[in-house]
Amino acid sequence: MLEMIINDKACRGCKLCLDVCPTDCFVYNEETNKAIVDKVENCIGCLSCAYICPSGAIVHKNHHVVGNFYRNIYFSKRMEKFL
Amino acid sequence: MNEILKKRRTLQETMNFMAALSAGIEPILGRGANSMTMSAGRNLGRKFSENANKTDDLLEAIAEVRKVLLANNCLWLFEPFKPVGQETMVTTNDKGQNQVLIVFRDCMIRQALFRFGHPQQGSLCNMMYGFFAGALENIMGKKTTLEIKHAGENACLKLLTVEA
Ligand code: SF4
Ligand code: SF4
Repeated sequence: MLEMIINDKACRGCKLCLDVCPTDCFVYNEETNKAIVDKVENCIGCLSCAYICPSGAIVHKNHHVVGNFYRNIYFSKRMEKFL
Repeated sequence: MNEILKKRRTLQETMNFMAALSAGIEPILGRGANSMTMSAGRNLGRKFSENANKTDDLLEAIAEVRKVLLANNCLWLFEPFKPVGQETMVTTNDKGQNQVLIVFRDCMIRQALFRFGHPQQGSLCNMMYGFFAGALENIMGKKTTLEIKHAGENACLKLLTVEA
């Protein structure tokens, strides 16, 4: 099951993650001026929020990481079993 | 096994080359570049799905496209996606067209584009639209569109719409 955590101390409240997320996983807390994870079930693991966050505050766990398996023989061999 | 790996790496190299080529022709051909790649993708989709099972069911048809890709040794992982709060996987829009969201994960087009820093959502991504359109035309006998909702670094979200 995919997990997503925002490092509260690192978040500077820029809302970029809210803007970039295609599935509305975040909401903004007006009191603390920080983003919070609202619907982690909606996360497709695109990692756009993690890439765009200027503070590197967003961390995902247990998500599928795309591999460059078409070039990497080791990865190709491992992927073979899914064919 | 080695033969497949060799073919797949050759395919990825070809894709890298095409990514460079499409990035080069896009400014010259403008929207024409998209039509070209769309058409190439559609022909490929039609050809690959010649012997696929026919069905009216959208989810079955998507599963059939996946089978077609696997049978041709293409690792193009995708799955239908249902957001929280949405009751069914397949929804109907106000024009009566059936729609389903699809998440694309491993994608050789994305990998090829990133390799040389080309932007996503260009003519090469449009080829995937063409492929789906061609394959689903054979499988469902209907026209479809595949709109890119989000092109991410690790996954993309697209909306597949089937004509009523
Ligand atoms: S992008 Fe990062 S810093 Fe900006 S609101 Fe989101 S978590 Fe906070
Ligand atoms: S990984 Fe993508 S879908 Fe998940 S929260 Fe970030 S932007 Fe949204």
